[in-house]
Amino acid sequence: MKGMKGTATWFMGCLVLAAWLIAGYPGQAAAADPLKVGVVLPLTGKLAKFGEIEQKSFLIAAEEINAAGGINGRPVQLIIEDTTGKPDVGRSAIEKLISKDQVLVVGGGYSSSVTWASVAVAQQRKVPFLVNTGSADNITEQGWEYIFRLNPPVSEYPQALHSFLKEKAQVKTVAILHENTLFGQSGSKEFMEQCKDFGLEVLMKEGYEAGAVDFKPLLVKVKAQDPDLVYMISYVMDAALLMRQAKELNLNPRLFVGGGAGFTLPEFQANAGEASEFVFSATLWTPSVPYPGAREYYEKFLDKYGTPTEYHGAEAYAAMYVIADALKRAATFTPEGVRAALAETDMMTVFGPVKFISYGKMTQQNKLPTFLVQWSQGKLETVWPKEVATAEPVYPFPRWDKR
Amino acid sequence: MKRFVPPLLLVLLIFFPLLVQDSYYQHLMILVLMWVAIGTGWNVIAGYTGQVSFGDAAFFGTGAYTAGLFVHKLGLSAWWAMGFGGIAAMAVAFPFGWICFRLRGAYFALASLALNEVMRHIATIWEPLTGGMVGLLIMQSFVSKIPYYYIALGMAVVSVLSVQFIMASKWGYYFVSIREDQDAAESLGIDTHFYKMCSLNIAAFLTGTAGALYMNYMGFIDPEVVFSLHDISIMAILVGIVGGVGTLYGPVVGAFVMVAVHEFFRTGFFGLFKGLAALTGSPAVETAAKFIMEAHVLGFGVLVVIVILILPNGIVGDWSRITGLFVWTRQRKMPG
Amino acid sequence: MDVFLQTLVAGILKGGLYGLIGMGMSLIMGVMGIINLAHGQLMMVAMYITFVCFTYLGLDPYAALLITMPALFLLGALIQRYALNPLMEVESLLPENQVLMTVGIGMVLTEIARFIFSSDYKSVQTAYSSSSFFLGGISFSVALTAAFFIALLFTGFMFWFLLKTDLGRAIRATAQDKDAALLMGVDAKRITILTFGIGSALVAAAGTLLMPIYYLFPDIGSPFTRKAFVITILGGLGSTVGAIFGGLTLGLAEAFGATYIGMAFDDMIGLLIFILVLLFLPSGFKRLTKI
Repeated sequence: MKGMKGTATWFMGCLVLAAWLIAGYPGQAAAADPLKVGVVLPLTGKLAKFGEIEQKSFLIAAEEINAAGGINGRPVQLIIEDTTGKPDVGRSAIEKLISKDQVLVVGGGYSSSVTWASVAVAQQRKVPFLVNTGSADNITEQGWEYIFRLNPPVSEYPQALHSFLKEKAQVKTVAILHENTLFGQSGSKEFMEQCKDFGLEVLMKEGYEAGAVDFKPLLVKVKAQDPDLVYMISYVMDAALLMRQAKELNLNPRLFVGGGAGFTLPEFQANAGEASEFVFSATLWTPSVPYPGAREYYEKFLDKYGTPTEYHGAEAYAAMYVIADALKRAATFTPEGVRAALAETDMMTVFGPVKFISYGKMTQQNKLPTFLVQWSQGKLETVWPKEVATAEPVYPFPRWDKR
Repeated sequence: MKRFVPPLLLVLLIFFPLLVQDSYYQHLMILVLMWVAIGTGWNVIAGYTGQVSFGDAAFFGTGAYTAGLFVHKLGLSAWWAMGFGGIAAMAVAFPFGWICFRLRGAYFALASLALNEVMRHIATIWEPLTGGMVGLLIMQSFVSKIPYYYIALGMAVVSVLSVQFIMASKWGYYFVSIREDQDAAESLGIDTHFYKMCSLNIAAFLTGTAGALYMNYMGFIDPEVVFSLHDISIMAILVGIVGGVGTLYGPVVGAFVMVAVHEFFRTGFFGLFKGLAALTGSPAVETAAKFIMEAHVLGFGVLVVIVILILPNGIVGDWSRITGLFVWTRQRKMPG
Repeated sequence: MDVFLQTLVAGILKGGLYGLIGMGMSLIMGVMGIINLAHGQLMMVAMYITFVCFTYLGLDPYAALLITMPALFLLGALIQRYALNPLMEVESLLPENQVLMTVGIGMVLTEIARFIFSSDYKSVQTAYSSSSFFLGGISFSVALTAAFFIALLFTGFMFWFLLKTDLGRAIRATAQDKDAALLMGVDAKRITILTFGIGSALVAAAGTLLMPIYYLFPDIGSPFTRKAFVITILGGLGSTVGAIFGGLTLGLAEAFGATYIGMAFDDMIGLLIFILVLLFLPSGFKRLTKI
């Protein structure tokens, strides 16, 4: 029994010690001077690459802002938390930022489902959240006054495509392929609605599990339907495989259009190779957009980090400036004060003009035009609208077997 | 003396949120308590009855979705699902067990894995009902964590006590006899199929209730989160095995250890390394901190491997082996 | 008709590769009775080795087979020897500790890969990666066709190996009845190590062959592990020929499911078949063949 007693005492002693340690663990001392801005991004996990680009952009922007005197002399302090790309971790991350770090405002929000889970927390805790990437429409359709969105919702991604179709290309039938994620499901649903409004017949709309090896069964169905336009919403690797296998099957619609995300990344071209040629995609930003600072931001990023940036980075960079602007105008340095200031935002950023308005079902949503790009000889050229085009669009799609 | 540990632990747990105000740690403890319930449930079917389930997420997710759907489709408060979530999970467990209990050992485990995946796919594809990948979002009833903590504590306590009660009864004997030798039990006249079903349904009920709590607490679920093979099913197994299968308090210890270790690694020893790096200004420590945080899953995996090698019966099961390490001086002095 | 034929071809070709993936697991499960949840991760390791060989050594994946297979054989043998065999000696309530160990190992392998290579998607672009040839209007992917035939080759080889060689027969004996085998003088421990090694080498081949037509990232393992189960159960534990049939069945089911029901369902179809086979044909196709 002696051994038992020793065990029990030891065990309880450990428990007490643990409790004392936990209770007494020093929290982060809040410095009086800097203004705290929280950011939630996927820094590890599958989406880490994009999370990194946004993180770096936030950092560059914050540096510039602080170098120029900060917010009336007070520096901005970024506290960046990793959501690992999962909604529940995202919620814990934003909770930590709000309750432990007591940030004034939150930025970031990469994946739609993680963002969706996080904004609910921000709204409930009454801390403003400026979403800069999460694109599912429902994020700004709830009437939540603490949630603002800088980037267009996924339903608006194909705006440039619409005007292109109206003025240049003549298509009658569409096939829609999308991955089964929030991004894919909501984007495809919206696009299908829009096709109906435009009088385009949707021959098929099908989802797939991201990461599939073989899309041939799906593509062979598409080929049998012979649509004029094939619209795909995918992340980069599925996009590459889709195009490669479309080439293998000799599937030749008049237009291949990607719904942004995967189709505009350099990885797409690297992995699809020749199969990426002449593929269009909707996009939200390219370095050649007519907004002040866009090209400079692109060069700065490339200089500092040695890798190119893309529209996610631009969103993050612009978001930082919007936040800083709101902080400058805030009547009080409280979440409510920052929220009120954000609501009055009216400024120009590298991502475009920013003004939060309500339209359709959405509130506090920034309205921006989108662009159409096309892969041409391994480079991504802006082809529509004409005013910003760097190259002429190639249409209809040159047949695989005739190249 | 050992008998006083559980009640003392309970007292500590009851007073915990009053001692520790930091909502971050409260959050962790709520997770721990939730895993106590899940782990205890798993332990019933796997540890005591010997039918290892690899698909407990199927029950967890069902409970969670029940709660979410109560709000979205029926307009009821999600708290109703604390009872109904468990029942819904049983509705899944019943046909599953009925069909699949003819399978033994590894085959049953695989079938449960398949069940997990099937449920996940259903939740993803059946958009009109579940919202698909949009998931279900509800507004939480309380902003403070404290009510959730006590509810979770209640759930955990009820789980452990009810399992204790069951295992002390005749059913407990039947379960263990099935684990030890199913055929012998059958030949002794024990209706193994019936008792396996009972065991599974108990497990499903507890796990489903935990899922309902999760929905209430987190406010957001989607198929990837609550039907996750890795984060839920396998975690449940780890909680059971690391804590100690077939023991009552194994899952309790296991839950605490697994959540703590997971978070420990994720935050780089609770920011200890980061703090050290800031203090010493040493780039080496800084890199170590970054490394640990980025490789947190790696650390976790390595730990799992080591624990299984050294403590195959879990912490509670192999308790004597652990204490042996600390009490060795005392024993050395004893003659013989 | 074209849609049907194309789907058929797609299913068969994919099935060959699946068979190769399942063969390794079938052997391991048949002989040791452990569920190797790290199977997909072993394939991942082989794929990373293939990637390195291609990118830094300029080796074509088919040539890299000669490197990945022995490498994974070694890795598998080491895992069995140092991580799994010790568990068999230990007294524990549940034999499932071994499975948990494979989970841990899988996690470790994935994270090490992530640490070395980051979560970025990697791929290998060979001349034949996207090329296909047409037979009567039906497209055949070059890489997948080659993989199919290589898989058949391996199946034939394993068939011969298990049937005709002493080592092969020792393995089958251990799979059928370990105690009897021990009594017959078979060194069960050595057999388990070799079997895990062979199983790993087979899945390594599958990974290397998959590389040109797919892509690679650290988390790629899990879905393939799951498919391996289905194939193993379909084909029957320990039966390598069964594995090919299992693979073909799964490949065809997925392809036809994708075409005629919807691609979102192809995983579900596999799972349903899995459950059906578990219930009604638990020893799999093995019943129909000798081995």
